[in-house]
Amino acid sequence: MGMNLGIDFSSLLQWNDFTVDLAAFAVKFAILVGGLLQLPPLLVWIERRVPALMQRRRGPNRVGIFKWRLYGLLQSLADTVKLIFKEEVVPDGAHKVFYHLAPVFCVFPAFLVACAIPYGPDLAIYGYKIPLSVVRMDVGFLFIFAISSLAVYGVALAGWASNNKYSLMGSLRASAQMISYEIPLGMSLIPIVLIYGTLDLGKIVEAQNSFFQWGVFTAPVSLLIFVICMFAETNRAPFDLAEAEGELVAGFHTEYNSAKFAAFFLGEYVSMFVLSCLASTVFFGGWQVPFVSYDALVTMLGSPNFVAPIGILMLLLKAAFFMWVYIWVRWTLPRFRYDQLMFLGWKFMLPIGLANVVVTAIVLAVLRFK
Amino acid sequence: MEALYFVPEMLFYVISGLILLSSIMVVAARNPVTSAIFLVVDLFFVAALYAQLDAHFTAAIQVLVYAGAIVVLFVFVIMILNLKPDALRGIRFSLGEALVLLITLAGFVIVGSELARTAPDLTTPGNLGSAAIEMAGGNTYVVAMRMFTAFLWPFEMASVLILLAIVACVMIAKKDKRVTKS
Repeated sequence: MGMNLGIDFSSLLQWNDFTVDLAAFAVKFAILVGGLLQLPPLLVWIERRVPALMQRRRGPNRVGIFKWRLYGLLQSLADTVKLIFKEEVVPDGAHKVFYHLAPVFCVFPAFLVACAIPYGPDLAIYGYKIPLSVVRMDVGFLFIFAISSLAVYGVALAGWASNNKYSLMGSLRASAQMISYEIPLGMSLIPIVLIYGTLDLGKIVEAQNSFFQWGVFTAPVSLLIFVICMFAETNRAPFDLAEAEGELVAGFHTEYNSAKFAAFFLGEYVSMFVLSCLASTVFFGGWQVPFVSYDALVTMLGSPNFVAPIGILMLLLKAAFFMWVYIWVRWTLPRFRYDQLMFLGWKFMLPIGLANVVVTAIVLAVLRFK
Repeated sequence: MEALYFVPEMLFYVISGLILLSSIMVVAARNPVTSAIFLVVDLFFVAALYAQLDAHFTAAIQVLVYAGAIVVLFVFVIMILNLKPDALRGIRFSLGEALVLLITLAGFVIVGSELARTAPDLTTPGNLGSAAIEMAGGNTYVVAMRMFTAFLWPFEMASVLILLAIVACVMIAKKDKRVTKS
């Protein structure tokens, strides 16, 4: 057996492909997680100010620093502090281990999936090429679906471990919904894979180099299906049947409070962000700047390292649009009934998704035959 | 670079240990939900092992299909039936089962020692390294080419078999319903 591992630590003390990869991974991961943790407070604030704007109310506008109110931006900070310092109540009949594990199962996949999104073009530092996604792999697409399919366990366990019938009902609804809509979500992206011929998200973005090669033009039906499934996947209105407060109190997190309740929020907002990023990456060119090709930008600015910040900004802007749509739709459309939701998923979205795949495949085959 | 092979090798031992541990827990846990969750953990780490072999496609599919879809249904069934831990007996062996366990363990030891004796040199990459996979056009490409050319018929036959199973399940479920109605 190779028990003599022959450890040579000297190779860890100099820059080579391995150590550069390791260091870059650590830095990118730290920045990503640090950034994602800032999301929920900001989004909660937006989610309270935007409907206030829509409904001619004021919304939270008081909490700021000293005399600066900052439009109530620090309300979320105050809420977070309150949530963390609240007393934690665990229901008597709860399954202790799974009750505590469920929020982890919710947060972990969301952060892991965020690692696969390409946030910008490759950096070139001292001859080493550093991709601007935490991990770049040739099956990025499948990785995202594989890991995000694990989020169901968080929801299912939370409801089951709480030992509360409303929680269980909510979690059954939520997980059934997530499983049902995962299929059309995957179906909607198969045409993209067919068109660009790769499962590597980085290469898909590179292929959308000119404006009219964006996924929104090459696969418009896919975009429609994807956006609808996006709402269902994250259990957001109008598909938030899992937490229909009139019937189920608060759904699967009825029995959760303090920091664990906040963790569910974190998971939900991060997965919203990830799906928004994925939608922008696949359908709106990712980090590509509209009407200007990447090569033109590099020659204009002199170095790919200067293009990277612009790319990141572009992706974040595009993702911000989808996040806005999330909130916009929530305060515009009423909730579906549960049977309508399942009907839509299985009898409408899935057949359209399948037809979309077949039609795209035929069109591509005909185009390539010529 | 050769000196850095200890990192993947150590990872291999850690992952294998976790696979063994979670596999034992699947069988040993008294609560069915615990078993199911350990099964997910188990499948996840098996996928990690695939990923370590540069079989990224297989790894992703492993998590997507087994952990993400099949075990979810297990969990559903367990939750809906609301199986209590008491409904299952703990680990108690009858004489026959103990005998089977002993034979299995003996077989495991024999095969394991034989494998350890004839183990290839693990520190040199084989001919299916990441560079070779990259050269051949990537994981997904190679798998798809093999599956849809050389192994097209077996692949299609397998899908027909699965379809058959689904139809059979629907038939059985329907029959049950009619009996309870009358």
